[in-house]
Amino acid sequence: MAKEKIVPAPDADSKPFWEACRDHKLKFQKCAACGEVRWPASILCPQCHCRDARWIEASGRGIIHTFVVYHQVFNPAFKDQIPYVVAVVELEEGPRLLTNIVDSPPESLSCDLPVEVVWDDISEEFSLPKFRPLPG
Amino acid sequence: MLDAGICNYVAISYGHSGLWGGGMRQLLFNTRPSEACFGHFGAVGRYALAAQRGMHEFSSGPETWKHIAMGQRKWANLNPAAIMHAKPMSEADYHGAPLVVEPFRLFDSCQMNDGGRAIIVTSAERARDLKHRPVLIMGMGQHNPSNEIAQARYLAGPTGAHKAGRAAFAMAGIGLDDVDACQIYDCFTYTVEITMQEYGFFGRGEGENWFQGGTIEPGGTMPVNTSGGQLSEAYFMGLTPIAEAVMQLMGRCGPRQLGPETRTREPQVILCSDNGGALQSHSCLIFGRG
Repeated sequence: MAKEKIVPAPDADSKPFWEACRDHKLKFQKCAACGEVRWPASILCPQCHCRDARWIEASGRGIIHTFVVYHQVFNPAFKDQIPYVVAVVELEEGPRLLTNIVDSPPESLSCDLPVEVVWDDISEEFSLPKFRPLPG
Repeated sequence: MLDAGICNYVAISYGHSGLWGGGMRQLLFNTRPSEACFGHFGAVGRYALAAQRGMHEFSSGPETWKHIAMGQRKWANLNPAAIMHAKPMSEADYHGAPLVVEPFRLFDSCQMNDGGRAIIVTSAERARDLKHRPVLIMGMGQHNPSNEIAQARYLAGPTGAHKAGRAAFAMAGIGLDDVDACQIYDCFTYTVEITMQEYGFFGRGEGENWFQGGTIEPGGTMPVNTSGGQLSEAYFMGLTPIAEAVMQLMGRCGPRQLGPETRTREPQVILCSDNGGALQSHSCLIFGRG
């Protein structure tokens, strides 16, 4: 029997991100001073240390910066998903997100491949942003 | 503290029960919920992400890594203390091992083991009165580029090894040509390749050529990880490479001793590396015969 799904643990900084995910929106903080769009969420800009930021909605498109294929069960919650793909996706707006690539055989993937967000509703409270290759 | 006379000898020790204790398993299986919810756990996955980018940017990959895994295994075969002492590794063994987190197969990963290592640091003056030939710290450098793997811009270089290596060589007042052997932190095969590439032993993407033909093996021109390293001897964090460098310079390594016995140069200078996180922090140390 597969164990219960592992869910994110939002903190004060990342709560708005995960709340937006529940509405199937990808939102990130954009620095009011230098314009850097950042992830993970934080109280100040890692580039210029400015505290003012607003949340913007990202397009959901990006490229695979890098990816790996899990062939062993590191946690029973993922036993039935082997082999699965974990990737770092670089979004058009700049931030990089650790995520999964879905709907595509692992051997068809490569670094810099264009991808778009798809949503995985894992519970009432949480939807995970995952990605699939752009058609064509 | 040694210079100030606060202490005379400093013991640096590391020990763990990696096979049955919690610490090593935590490194391998635990991570933050924001990563675990995507099925991403621990060190293998993080370094595999870096290695895949290396494959994309400069044609790193298993054809390079096999030389590292097999070369270090040959050293372990000369080291009775090595976990893999009695187990030779063929090319078929390397390619036939199970995939763990692709692109890494089993023999791209270091050992999990019980045990420990310790070294003693003292002044050069005191060291000259001790039982063994002294080993001098000639140079050191550190560089710590980031704390988030997903945000890292250096998975395929420049890693912290680039600046740390330059700083260590500058302090030592020597160059790469003066190095007789290397003890490189080798949690994974890719770590050895990217670290030596960043230090400048070969150009970007030239690792496959550089490693082939037994370069790092007994009889080779640049011996690397002469105890078998973390891949084939045992994993004791940064003390696997440092302890081996010191033992080699003291001449205490028995059948694997650098010099005529292993058809290698008698070592005057050995370069060591250590890194933390997934290429997020880096130390370079250069040791010389005292």
